[in-house]
Amino acid sequence: MDWNLLFSSYANVFLDPTTLLMTLLGAAGGVLLGAIPGMTATMGVALLIPFSFGMDLIPSIGLLLGIYCGGMYGGSISAILIHAPGTPSAAATLLDGYPMAQKGEAGRALSVAMFSSFCGGVIGALIMTFLSPLVAKVAMKFTSAEMLMLAVFGLSVIISISGKSIAKGLISAFFGMLLCTIGLDPTYSKQRFTFGVTSLKGGLSFIPVLIGLFAVAEVIAGVERIIAGRESAQAKSKEKITRVLPDIHTIKMIFSNILSGGIIGTFIGAIPGAGGDIAVFVSYAFNKGISKHPEKWGTGIPNGVASTESANNGCSGGAMIPLLSLGVPGDSVTAILLGAFIMKGIQPGPMMYVSELPTVYKVFAALMLANLAMLLVGCAGVRIFAKIVSLEKRMLYPIILIVSLLGAFSINKNVFDIGVCVFFGVIGWLMNKYEFPLSPILLALILGPMCEQNFVRFMDLNQGNFGEIIHYPIAIGFFVVAVGVVIFSLINQKKINEREAANAAGFVQE
Amino acid sequence: MEIKKTQTKAFSNLIVSALLIVFEIWAWIQSNAIKTAKSATVQPATFPRIMIIGMGVFTAILFIQSIIKLIGMKAGDPLAQKAESMNVFKDRGTLAALFVIALCALYVYLFKNVGYVVVSFFLCAIIMWLIGLRSPAKLLSISILVPLGMWFVFYKFLTVNIPMGILQPLRDLVDKI
Repeated sequence: MDWNLLFSSYANVFLDPTTLLMTLLGAAGGVLLGAIPGMTATMGVALLIPFSFGMDLIPSIGLLLGIYCGGMYGGSISAILIHAPGTPSAAATLLDGYPMAQKGEAGRALSVAMFSSFCGGVIGALIMTFLSPLVAKVAMKFTSAEMLMLAVFGLSVIISISGKSIAKGLISAFFGMLLCTIGLDPTYSKQRFTFGVTSLKGGLSFIPVLIGLFAVAEVIAGVERIIAGRESAQAKSKEKITRVLPDIHTIKMIFSNILSGGIIGTFIGAIPGAGGDIAVFVSYAFNKGISKHPEKWGTGIPNGVASTESANNGCSGGAMIPLLSLGVPGDSVTAILLGAFIMKGIQPGPMMYVSELPTVYKVFAALMLANLAMLLVGCAGVRIFAKIVSLEKRMLYPIILIVSLLGAFSINKNVFDIGVCVFFGVIGWLMNKYEFPLSPILLALILGPMCEQNFVRFMDLNQGNFGEIIHYPIAIGFFVVAVGVVIFSLINQKKINEREAANAAGFVQE
Repeated sequence: MEIKKTQTKAFSNLIVSALLIVFEIWAWIQSNAIKTAKSATVQPATFPRIMIIGMGVFTAILFIQSIIKLIGMKAGDPLAQKAESMNVFKDRGTLAALFVIALCALYVYLFKNVGYVVVSFFLCAIIMWLIGLRSPAKLLSISILVPLGMWFVFYKFLTVNIPMGILQPLRDLVDKI
């Protein structure tokens, strides 16, 4: 590595006022877009890419990376405050983020999310800088066998997010996987469960389902609680934000979660087709598994928020690895970035490290700057964001509903998606009422298509002989880890149930 | 007060799992309608059927677990607690939730023709009134300003074309400005 060139590239990027301004504007726009349910970082980058046409390469890349990093963090704001993840990769943040907000710790949850996002992003950027050629080489060896087992590995996390009843968690997961099969089948284009409805041919849109299951279901349940007298309509958080960054005690507590989350996020992000949405659940399950108090996860603890948000932003660095070193985008945002590079006359790939090394180093620096910009925007905005929850519930619920329904519409500009959103709102409300966990559906919706496509591809390539999988060592490695995760999660869940039963028995005796 | 077995979470699990079994049978029958692909190693219906079987296995486990719990029910067991009610005649909360769902269904139906701002105004105002907001100033200002503000942001800055229905002239006016 040419250290002199690396440092001079960092200095050039960090001292260029245009790049600084563009990255800061990008981060602000990204945070705002990410916070709106239905608006993803991909949409943000796609919407704002025309603004970068007239700029030089590095300011324009700074703008786009700012949106990318800002959008990744922004998704956590609505997940924490209104139970509606702004982006799919913020879906796991609500597991602990929203309960924290309900306990009156919305500001703390937001600051932990912001700090973890920043650290995760920095870890991703550092790993990208030093390991990019190596990691990309390993990830690019993945065939359908490895991708199938990666999906299975991702699904093994379900047990640890199933809550008290593993059977209910697995029913939810299989239901989610079944939902993925609605529409044209990916290999032969045969219609499945479309019932003659044209809008179902393309399958269910992920975002309307997500918004329905979480936000709309929460509004229906909230109205039910208020009318039944179980919640006050005037209830509002009186939390005062005294600091925008987490205190030293919290940082010490979440440090290991941030570190592992950042590393997990970077490596998963480096695998083309596997992005933040998978990484956050893997990181959550991993950190819950190694925790001394797994029973506290899901009840609103900063560790849960830190493990998901660091993995989420770690992915941004990871996804850049195959983009820069092989010219293959790691996710949808880097696919748009690839277009931006080509537009500027630069072809990412192995030759870029030979002919455009200064540009490569400037991109590394721009990603670091984008994370810093996201932290600044986040610090400035925490107090404003936390004000949202200080609204009375009787005003907040209807506002959440109309914003969510519009978010569902905005994805495909299709009224059918609002219907899907409402339908899944009802499903989510019923599932909550009868204690079926929602998160496994989410994970299944993310991993289902990847699982099916690679399963079919693998079986086709091997003439229907699944036993051929033993000839793929990395795939077997993923499978062994998946089995380990399942066994570990089962033992962990048993311990949690025993502790809770003991606590309940103690309570009854008292 | 002693809880009847039919009011417990174990009983509600039993009913839910029975309903799920019905759903799985229906889904299996529907999967028979999926066309086959010639010379395919994995047929288009295979993967959904694996999922239905998986769902069915764990539904059966839940069903059996619920029966066992109901037979040997002990006080203090989490499943011996009272389950959530769906009785609209006894539970006003459930009735209100169903009313909100009906409003949302109407919202979807009217969205395109009446327009986002107007249907959102009614949805927002009715729900706020339902859950106890009686101040006309707050009720009207939120119900008008939030949908209008959201429409403006989505239309002008995010270029999402939202149906305006009867308020179409407003969009024309914004376009002119």
